[in-house]
Amino acid sequence: MRSGAATPTRASGSRTGWLLLPLAGWLVAFVLAPALILLVISFATRDDLGRVVFAFSLENYGRVFDPVYLGIFARSVGYAALTTVLCIALAYPVAWHIARLGAPWRQRLLLLVMIPFWTSFLIRTYAWITILKQEGLLNGVLRHAGLIAAPLEFLYTPGAVVLGLVYAYLPFMILPLYASAEKVEPSLIEAAHDLGCGPWRTFATIVLPLTRPGLAAGVMMVFVPAIGMFAISDLMGGARVPMLGNVIQDQFVGQARDKPFGAALGVVFLLLFLVSYALLRRRAEVRLG
Amino acid sequence: MHLRRPFRLLRPSLAAALLAATALAARAAEKLSLFAWSEYVPARVIEGFTRETGIQVDYETYASGEEMLSKLLTGGAAYDLVQPPDYIAEAMIRNKLLRPLDAGRLTRLDQIAPEVRALPHDPGMKYTVPYMTGTVGIVVNTAKVKEPVRGYRDLFQEKYRNRIVVVNDNREIVSWALVTLGLDQNAITPANLARARPLVAEWIKLVKVFDSDSPKTPLLNGDVDLGVVWSGEAARLIQENPKFTYVLPVEGYHPFVDVLAIPTTARNVAAAHRFLDYLLRPEVAKLVSDEFPYTNPNLGARRLLTPAQRANPASYPPMTAWNTFRDIGRAAADIDRMMTDLKNRP
Repeated sequence: MRSGAATPTRASGSRTGWLLLPLAGWLVAFVLAPALILLVISFATRDDLGRVVFAFSLENYGRVFDPVYLGIFARSVGYAALTTVLCIALAYPVAWHIARLGAPWRQRLLLLVMIPFWTSFLIRTYAWITILKQEGLLNGVLRHAGLIAAPLEFLYTPGAVVLGLVYAYLPFMILPLYASAEKVEPSLIEAAHDLGCGPWRTFATIVLPLTRPGLAAGVMMVFVPAIGMFAISDLMGGARVPMLGNVIQDQFVGQARDKPFGAALGVVFLLLFLVSYALLRRRAEVRLG
Repeated sequence: MHLRRPFRLLRPSLAAALLAATALAARAAEKLSLFAWSEYVPARVIEGFTRETGIQVDYETYASGEEMLSKLLTGGAAYDLVQPPDYIAEAMIRNKLLRPLDAGRLTRLDQIAPEVRALPHDPGMKYTVPYMTGTVGIVVNTAKVKEPVRGYRDLFQEKYRNRIVVVNDNREIVSWALVTLGLDQNAITPANLARARPLVAEWIKLVKVFDSDSPKTPLLNGDVDLGVVWSGEAARLIQENPKFTYVLPVEGYHPFVDVLAIPTTARNVAAAHRFLDYLLRPEVAKLVSDEFPYTNPNLGARRLLTPAQRANPASYPPMTAWNTFRDIGRAAADIDRMMTDLKNRP
């Protein structure tokens, strides 16, 4: 953000300050106000129809820390963490190699990374169901190749959920990593090799520190939304184990009709995210010195 | 009751309705705003109504009765017609959210089957007109399962572990355990939930897929061989392949009724009545059965169906009891809590 490029003078900066108004308005209307509404509702109760009744109560927060919901929270975080790690492992080589290519190929490959966004996310998830089902493409190919005798279970397993999550979020890791990798001076890599660094050491001492901003952005963009994702666990996991997103959805538009409890879950989720983000920032700043 | 997901918005029915709507917008036509399940009101019905009356229908959709109620109560928009399931309609009537119908403007109410007219959510159809009814029953792929499956006890057996799909509807699942134990499906008390709990815990461990949106899909795909599903879904499976069979569980079953009703906040009450009256015509109500083969409460429409449609055991099962779900108010959250807990245990 503070990349001094073409910094306007202080005078022109104040004259163009009003350009930030739409952004500020956006943040107030769609981030701050909803978060405040959520906070207020989370201390309320409800009537038989599920209408919010504004009578102060801490009961919702008491329930959030019930072991059942903590377990769901832990599982959601676990799936999100595994997804993030797999995305990092897959995205690093891809981003790095795209960044090292000539401009025309770089453009084409980046386009390929983004093309899936042109199709609805749900339709792409259904495509995976067609591939993974018992009488699906994957089992068919494996059977014709003589690798298996009976169809294997791919769909409606935890593995299918992780596959779906990685597939959905991989581009969000590749793109920021690419943006960082593109700026890494190739001569630094050559120098490391000349000085006797193996590939791992080069990665750990040169590539990793220099692409850290891209990695941090990628982790944020993958990990956080993956915690709240519910459609994939429903469609590819058979909805066998509830995720945090499923539980919250149930409170608002599902049978539970308990918006205050859903709001309390949302508030705790938001706070945990803010705290971990602040901690990450502080660590990053300390390290950068 | 049938949770359906928003991707269904992409279905052609809605696209066609939108097209019809834009074609008529030029005339600045009178409007009717319909708030209904996604994929439940055929485009042909909406188009036919607009063609005849010139009234433009805005069809907004939701994926669960609770979602509809929540949006209606939030008051973001006024709807002229809503389509709640029986137990939500009951809660809405009790809380004065529905407007009494003007029976004088509904000329064909006599087409509705007598057994559907006096149900406890709205005895005498003062506030609601039944749209479609159905049951929740057991589907078996007889090509894969050779033993007879007559009820929940036959279905939820260790040998069928990972071969079962059930609707992802907590109240449904709990009701199956309650009737199996000989308890009242509508008596959601802490004591009854405690008694149902071990049975539910045992059952859900055997289930491979929970899906309310399209439970027929894993059955068609061969991922599972048995299921407890909405009768309309089962009817489509049977149409697709006669190897599928449908039975009402011997332990007990319950029918459901999806109704149409006019909220007190409706703006175009006259158009809402015209739409209801239009839907009561046998030839119009029949169109609903053609696309969504649930049980049609319209006797005239039933007579217009093909013999194959009428013989479909999922659309027209041998029904004797009409014990529908009742509104259980806050107890719904107790069910949700118990099911979340059980599903969460390894």
